[in-house]
Amino acid sequence: MNRRRTLAGLAAAGTAAALLLTGCGGDGGTADGPVTLKVLTWEPGGAEYWQQVKSSFEASHPDIKLEMESVPFDKYPEVQGPYITSQSGPDVMANNAGLELFDRRNAYVPLGEQAAEINKDLVSYSGACEDFDTSKNCYGVPFSYQGNVLYYNKDVLAAAGLDPEQPPATWDEFGAACEAVAATGKTCLALGLSGTFPAYWDFPEIARNYLTEDDIRALLAGTISWTDPKLVSTLEKLAEITTSGWANDNAPSITMLPDGADIFQRGDAAFAGTIISDAVNWQAFGEALGDETLGVTRWPVINPDAPLAQKFSGIEGAVYGVTQWSDKKDAGLTFISWLAGKENGELWVEYAKGQPLNTNVDSALLPDSPAFLKIQELVADPTLHAGVMLSGPEADALARGWQQVTLGQLTIDAWAEQMQQALERSPTKQQN
Amino acid sequence: MTISTAPAPEPTSADRTPGTARRPARRHRHAREWWLAALLVSPALALAVAFKLVPLVRGVITSMESSAGFGGATFAGADNYLRMLDDPMVITSFRNALMVVATLPVWVVLPLVLAVLIHQRAPGWKFFRAVYFVPYTIAPIVVGIMFRQILAPDGPINAGLRTIGLDPLAIAWLNGRYSALFSLVAVALWSFFGLGVMTYLAGLATIPDEMLEAAYLDGAGFWRRLFSIVVPMLRPTVAYWSVLCASGVLIWLFPLIYALTQGGPGDATMLPEYLVFLTTFTFLDRGYGSAIGIALFVFVAVLSIFSVRHMFKEGTRKPR
Repeated sequence: MNRRRTLAGLAAAGTAAALLLTGCGGDGGTADGPVTLKVLTWEPGGAEYWQQVKSSFEASHPDIKLEMESVPFDKYPEVQGPYITSQSGPDVMANNAGLELFDRRNAYVPLGEQAAEINKDLVSYSGACEDFDTSKNCYGVPFSYQGNVLYYNKDVLAAAGLDPEQPPATWDEFGAACEAVAATGKTCLALGLSGTFPAYWDFPEIARNYLTEDDIRALLAGTISWTDPKLVSTLEKLAEITTSGWANDNAPSITMLPDGADIFQRGDAAFAGTIISDAVNWQAFGEALGDETLGVTRWPVINPDAPLAQKFSGIEGAVYGVTQWSDKKDAGLTFISWLAGKENGELWVEYAKGQPLNTNVDSALLPDSPAFLKIQELVADPTLHAGVMLSGPEADALARGWQQVTLGQLTIDAWAEQMQQALERSPTKQQN
Repeated sequence: MTISTAPAPEPTSADRTPGTARRPARRHRHAREWWLAALLVSPALALAVAFKLVPLVRGVITSMESSAGFGGATFAGADNYLRMLDDPMVITSFRNALMVVATLPVWVVLPLVLAVLIHQRAPGWKFFRAVYFVPYTIAPIVVGIMFRQILAPDGPINAGLRTIGLDPLAIAWLNGRYSALFSLVAVALWSFFGLGVMTYLAGLATIPDEMLEAAYLDGAGFWRRLFSIVVPMLRPTVAYWSVLCASGVLIWLFPLIYALTQGGPGDATMLPEYLVFLTTFTFLDRGYGSAIGIALFVFVAVLSIFSVRHMFKEGTRKPR
């Protein structure tokens, strides 16, 4: 009898230990306690904003606790990939709107008809939906607007004898400005070619001079060849940035974030092509250089007659969705619905200093920085963002090819050929 | 005293009984020992099957699948392996791997020389014994981030070279096709050589001091003592370290590539292990990533097998 009791005790202890070790504790809380949602994020907008998200959401939803797993943006795919492969991990996670999200759509719960209701107050949410079509499946909720501009340092321009209030507007003017800046010993364009930033931040700005919106959709579908003259011309102009000596010498071996952005923030470069929200935006540069020193402009135009040349390459920012494997889908849905709401929109403006998507955000909260106001002008006329249409292999090949072209190891034609091979290696685009 | 030549009497049944009774007892004992041995081995066997064999078999199965994104997979047979033959990135990554393997003599000899110097109580040996091991205790990802600054065009290495008038040597270390790979290997060597020094020191402790002292008194210089006494007596240790390095140089470099070059510029520092990771988790091509991983496994196994066989022979050779 005693032996049986001992065995039963051992079995119970073993089961309890196994449950503890495997984390099978139900919803992460006690039976009556709050549900704990695990959220994987690269903290777009910064740590302070996410602390506000956590405290504000938990205050209004006492039955749900948020447990954030924060990962740096450039390391995010490497952390998220194993979670998706093993179908385990966070209950809510994020991806950039566009192909990055579509490639991972099987990891998210489609919102179905709820998408329209959840996102009803947003300016746009098509980047969270298949093929940028809101009538198709949508996989999450965006709350910020994102895109590329060219930031410049007015002091560096002035020191080079250029008018800080009239930054170069055309490609030729930009080349002339770079020569003037180089003569002062500064870098013209701060650039880092390692990783996927060139694909997201530089490629779309050149591509707008050659592609139409239909071409950009073809890029998403993988039906336009990289040997198409329009895309070859885009690659040629990208190469010109580095082969003409407009960028820093170490561009091939550094990343844009943080290395390239650091060059600009230190005041060692005249220009930096980055983004309007999240990290390395007008606020970060304004803090480093001073709001009065920071200027914002559109990337220089190459073909003024191109239909998209004067547009803004815009896209919804990070999209948060509920994971397929989560056993707390209702709580996850509650959280992402809250993210799309006015309260979070205002937190986004106030703490992340970002561009909100929610139309009900109090306009009095919007920053009055000159750079932010200029960005408001630029984003008013948006077009599709060509960068987020690139698959993982294409974004990788774009950066590696640009590195090699810069170092004289690759011709433009060979680069285009490598891009085409990358397109053919793209699992999602192969389906087309 | 007489010696009887009479034939020995046949054993009686009473004499036979204990012998025949002993045999089943022995058999029973052997069976019990066998079961005990099996019981003792089984945890290790279970762990090896669960954590080595099963993932390997799973990897082989995945390498024969085709998947779009993170969606469902379909059987693809040998397609992924055939794709590898036409993929310039795969070919380059294995070519780079061979170049890294070619640096093996440095990985084996450098720690040995330093270990012998420490063993012979060279000036400052206590300090160096501690200092050499420090890099090994720093996480490789931190080493990578650290050396990204150190190897920058305007970093401390180039500043030092310029200060001593060696301007032509102050190159962009991570920009060139070969200098980037060389720099990566040099950083890896910096990070791991301390482990080699410690390994050799453990081996050197088994060589009697008298032998080295006798050689010294006979007039043998440092290199003569190294190659005529230390190396022959340290063969098993050298073989062990060689095996570790042969496989290690192909699977230790991942965190350094990740932090330092991301395989670039271009494909200059792309090694198969990083390509596996990139293909699987960034390109979302699990089947193809697994196929490259299995090819790397075979590559490392082939490379290691010669060293392991040599080590086994050394270990089982009877002393002359």
